[in-house]
Amino acid sequence: MSEQKFRTCTITGLKVHGPAESLIKANIITAVIFIAIGGIAALLVALTRWPAVHLLPAHWFYRILTAHGLDMLIVWIIFFEIGALYLGGAVLLNARLAAPRVGWLAYILMLGGAVLTNIMVLSGTSDVLFTSYPPLMAHPLYYLGIILFAVGALIGVLLFFATLYKARKEGVYTHASFPLVTFGFIAAGMIAIYTLVHGAGIFIPTLLWSMGLMNMNPSAYRLVFWALGHSTQQINVAAMISVWYLLGTLTVGMKPINEKLCRTAFVLYILIISVASEHHLLVDPVFSNAHKIWNTGYIVHLAVLGSMIHALAVPAGIEVALRKKGYTNGLFEWLKKAPWGNPGFSAMAFSIFIFGFLAGISGVVFGSEAVNITAHNTWRITGHFHATVVGGTTLAFMGVTYYILPIVFNRQIIAKNWASLQPWLFGIGLILLSGGMMSAGVYGVPRRHWDIVSFGGSPFAFTWDPTVYMWMTVMGIGALTAVAGGVLYVWITLGTAWKGKPVA
Amino acid sequence: MSKESFGAPGTFVLAMIFLVTFIVIYFLNYKYLAGVWELR
Repeated sequence: MSEQKFRTCTITGLKVHGPAESLIKANIITAVIFIAIGGIAALLVALTRWPAVHLLPAHWFYRILTAHGLDMLIVWIIFFEIGALYLGGAVLLNARLAAPRVGWLAYILMLGGAVLTNIMVLSGTSDVLFTSYPPLMAHPLYYLGIILFAVGALIGVLLFFATLYKARKEGVYTHASFPLVTFGFIAAGMIAIYTLVHGAGIFIPTLLWSMGLMNMNPSAYRLVFWALGHSTQQINVAAMISVWYLLGTLTVGMKPINEKLCRTAFVLYILIISVASEHHLLVDPVFSNAHKIWNTGYIVHLAVLGSMIHALAVPAGIEVALRKKGYTNGLFEWLKKAPWGNPGFSAMAFSIFIFGFLAGISGVVFGSEAVNITAHNTWRITGHFHATVVGGTTLAFMGVTYYILPIVFNRQIIAKNWASLQPWLFGIGLILLSGGMMSAGVYGVPRRHWDIVSFGGSPFAFTWDPTVYMWMTVMGIGALTAVAGGVLYVWITLGTAWKGKPVA
Repeated sequence: MSKESFGAPGTFVLAMIFLVTFIVIYFLNYKYLAGVWELR
């Protein structure tokens, strides 16, 4: 491969492969456009669920909620992850992307699928929410859009593995093992393969069902769907933790205190984490108690152990790096003197805190079968996964964007002061949003519901404890704060990509 | 353990705070469960 297709990053010294750079840019910018669309939907959903505002009529609420779930949980995150995989596979190894044309095919399939699904949702023919549980039926093109997106993403993941193989075969990367960040992306890629295969495995029959060509068993759907629906979030977890290690290195010069242990924790994810999907079925009458308890009461804790290892290893690595810089007084001088004005660092720190304290603890507690009976389908669950996916993954991805822009886009960040503020707004907003949701959920406030005040004119009156309205207001204020942080992120990212000064 | 061999005492304290939070939240959830689902 010609050297002319590479440029050397002036910040990191990494060799950046031109075709890989173009594909990373396309995937990241598309991801940011979809987080903007999903963010507008988030604002509308939050302002509807906030009883004091109650903005949208019922049919538009469910339509926008469907778009919000798809664009945030699937489209934004997977576009970003595919960009991150190309970064971890090509740029971090100084290697070339194995087959750029295949990368563009993957991109076109993903974009086509995402646009098609959004059109079908907004046309009002597919108000089925993210889960699309039968017997709710969407337009066949809705399912086709998801299948196209999943196939495109699968091709992108396979291209990442092909890039690693080529880097080894062509002698570009000769070390015994891949860097820890790339190793984490490998874990994410392996989880992605079985996740996306399950996606095709459930949405192809569902497409045929929507065309009247076969029957659908709702229980079988739920079982296989969650091997996509939840495992997608496990891709996020593995990718997010890889980004933590990357940001720790880039922001404070962190080195893992025990790299073998960190790699073992990623292996635990690959082997175990898929059983976490089972907690979605804990109140499903079809599956046996033994099946549920074995998965959610015992086995899943090996994956939790993996998260515990990472959650200890990253802050410990940061502490060791900062102590080496001289911040050795007392227990926490290193934490006080950490570079909190660097958006990459503050985003990582908020991500670790929110993922650990809000998402991690609530996930393990709500995932145990006994407690789940009080939490299932309440807003506690919505609070949990907003802490996981938004406070954890999205915030980490926002943080690494501030490094991808100079390294890959070769642009200086515009509006650096606003960029420093952005993770704080988004992080604090998410803490309020998730905390408000989980607290209201304790009182039994249901998830997904358009109207918890009069229940759409139901003849059965129900009076909430007044505290519920306070927590829903906390959620609303948190949503507005997080949306402000999201607006800043979209503006800074697109503005930098478009009009940022070139890196000297 | 010597002071030199333990390079991240602040993180250890944070991990202990996390563990205590975990225990308290687990306990509160089971306490709440016991309140709504009484054994007679």
